[in-house]
Amino acid sequence: MEEYTLLCEDSIDGILTGIYEAYQIKKEEGVESHDRIHLYAGEMVQQRLCMHDIHIKTDLEKSHKVIRTLVEKLSEENYYDLCLAMVSDGQDKADAVYHTVVRALQTKDRNMFAGLQNDYILKAFTYQRNANNELMHLRGFLRFHELEQGILYAKTGPKNQILPFLMAHFADRLPSENFMIYDEKHQVFGVHQKQKEWYLVQSDSFQEEELVFSKDEQCYAELFCHFCESIAIRERTNENLQRNMLPLRFRGYMTEFQSKY
Amino acid sequence: MFCKDDVKRKNMLFVPPFGDGMGIGMEMKTVMEKLEILSDAAKYDVACTSSGVDRKGNGKDMGNCIKGGICHSFAADGRCISLLKILLSNECIFDCKYCLNRKSNDVPRATFTPREVCELTMNFYKRNYIEGLFLSSGIIENPTYTMELIFQVVFLLRTFYHFQGYIHVKGIPGADPDIIQKTGFYVDRMSVNLELPTADGLKLLAPNKHRKNILAPMRQIQNGIIQGKQEIVQYKNAPSFVPSGQSTQMIIGATPESDYQIMSVAQGLYDKFNLKRVFYSAYVSINADKDLPALHTGTPLLREHRLYQADWLLRFYQFKAEELLTEKRPNFNVLLDPKCDWALQHLEQFPVEINRADYHTLLRVPGIGVKSAQRICGARRTGNLRFEDLKKIGVVLKRALYFITCNGKMMYHTKMEEDYITRNLLALPEKLPFQKDTMTYKQLTLFDDKVETAELFGGQKEILQRVV
Repeated sequence: MEEYTLLCEDSIDGILTGIYEAYQIKKEEGVESHDRIHLYAGEMVQQRLCMHDIHIKTDLEKSHKVIRTLVEKLSEENYYDLCLAMVSDGQDKADAVYHTVVRALQTKDRNMFAGLQNDYILKAFTYQRNANNELMHLRGFLRFHELEQGILYAKTGPKNQILPFLMAHFADRLPSENFMIYDEKHQVFGVHQKQKEWYLVQSDSFQEEELVFSKDEQCYAELFCHFCESIAIRERTNENLQRNMLPLRFRGYMTEFQSKY
Repeated sequence: MFCKDDVKRKNMLFVPPFGDGMGIGMEMKTVMEKLEILSDAAKYDVACTSSGVDRKGNGKDMGNCIKGGICHSFAADGRCISLLKILLSNECIFDCKYCLNRKSNDVPRATFTPREVCELTMNFYKRNYIEGLFLSSGIIENPTYTMELIFQVVFLLRTFYHFQGYIHVKGIPGADPDIIQKTGFYVDRMSVNLELPTADGLKLLAPNKHRKNILAPMRQIQNGIIQGKQEIVQYKNAPSFVPSGQSTQMIIGATPESDYQIMSVAQGLYDKFNLKRVFYSAYVSINADKDLPALHTGTPLLREHRLYQADWLLRFYQFKAEELLTEKRPNFNVLLDPKCDWALQHLEQFPVEINRADYHTLLRVPGIGVKSAQRICGARRTGNLRFEDLKKIGVVLKRALYFITCNGKMMYHTKMEEDYITRNLLALPEKLPFQKDTMTYKQLTLFDDKVETAELFGGQKEILQRVV
């Protein structure tokens, strides 16, 4: 029995194109089950050097077709959850998402992640949860600094590629601000101009040292640091709990944990 | 003619925040000092949640609200920092014995101007330090005047600064109902502190406060919320009144109430006043007074933790206070969480079959939380669940295994005996959110008389000695 392995780009559109092609192959080649077809993205692609692998070129038209199907047949919420799983750092996320979609379309279950006994669904669910948890964290832990011209600048280094989700959140929250968020791990900028749509820019030649902060910036940073100190109850000091709630990896980017203030 | 209040109010409104209102400059030092004094004074207020209301941005002004709330940081005590939690002033005409800001304490005093509070809120919010403002205050001159000052701040923040983020203010007991009503239309949450669980405790420790003065605004806010909801149904754009609901808090361990009394009060507040949350604040002994526990008595963190666990059982697990405790058994078990404790008292209801038991029954199994109960109900529609599936779903099997069957079989051969299961459950270390040494068993029973203590732990004394 033949197994098919599809390799796609590590992006939402890449994976969705992969899913489209997987369905095509099943139909055209008459593969009896989706279980014989596998879809990998990103790092997994580099690890494999097999002659029989099929490389998929990202095609926006095909990915949009898949999106339409998912939103119509499942729901907007389910599609949102799948997107989170697709931007996660799960190694075999593409395969998990692909097979979860297959099952959800078969069972027509509105609660896509219900069948957690299934390994694919469990994985997709776990990846979705990981990415979502990090998104929840960063919505709170991200820190903006005010630059000279009043632009707000934030730097972050998330494990999952959740910058688009963060941008959507802050664009709703700060519609009249010019702001940018730099994901230094994936070297992507999110840019939002006052009263306009936000967009992403790929960049690997960014000099943070050239940024000039506004004259109030230092004052407010100091005020906030003092606030964080005085709001703690000394008799209840509990650094373990603090570390559980606010893992160390976030602190490097957070104003109140910088020694300079 | 100006009356004294008007002059004061005017000054509060028109003193520019930092120098001429642009940047911090010269005034930075005073604002820093005020912030330190007035955040330090506010730190014993527990509520720092920003949840309960979903408000999308309006595409123009700064701010939105997220239903689940957002934690922006965590202080060294592990508590969430979500709101700029400050007092407007720590000047206070009251002399509550447990409070740091009581009239007779010699502490540095400060008062923010409304503009200062607004500038701080806006600038903190813009930098994503906070989710909004939490504003309380000491009683300046009288409750109505104090409430008016609080109103001025939120009015300025909403109408002049157009702030759309979260605002939580304290309703000041004894204030004119009109001003409380007015404030309610500008804030997301309002809370009136119960302070102490019973009227007797309040009388003893807060001679200037009266139980009925606390319950009156609580009832007023409740009625306002109910009325507001009806109006929103009728007119879509009616201004919303306290949309995220009201909460309260009480201090635990400063007065000798039992856990049973406290839980009954909490249940009454949920049932009769529709409160969103009741917060419990372990008493931190900061003042010396003959009516208070001795200075430097430990903070009853374990007791507070048990009360929160039980509070969760009331709100999300469909338990009733009288199921968990009784007058004869008035305090929670120090060694077991309230749900385990309850299950051990009701072994006749176990084991339950995972593939058939209804949601309500699943919720009562130790080791199964709200999320895993929901996942079980979802997953078993697609096929029978086995123990290994339960593990993946997030059930804490090492706790649950004594209380459940999968396809008619228990996980191991276990006896349905209270002693046997208790022994096994006690052998599992309980994950507590604080270090063990903060509160000893002795301190916890500070107010229990010996007979009660013997009753409470009589059955488990041997185990107790082994574990502690």
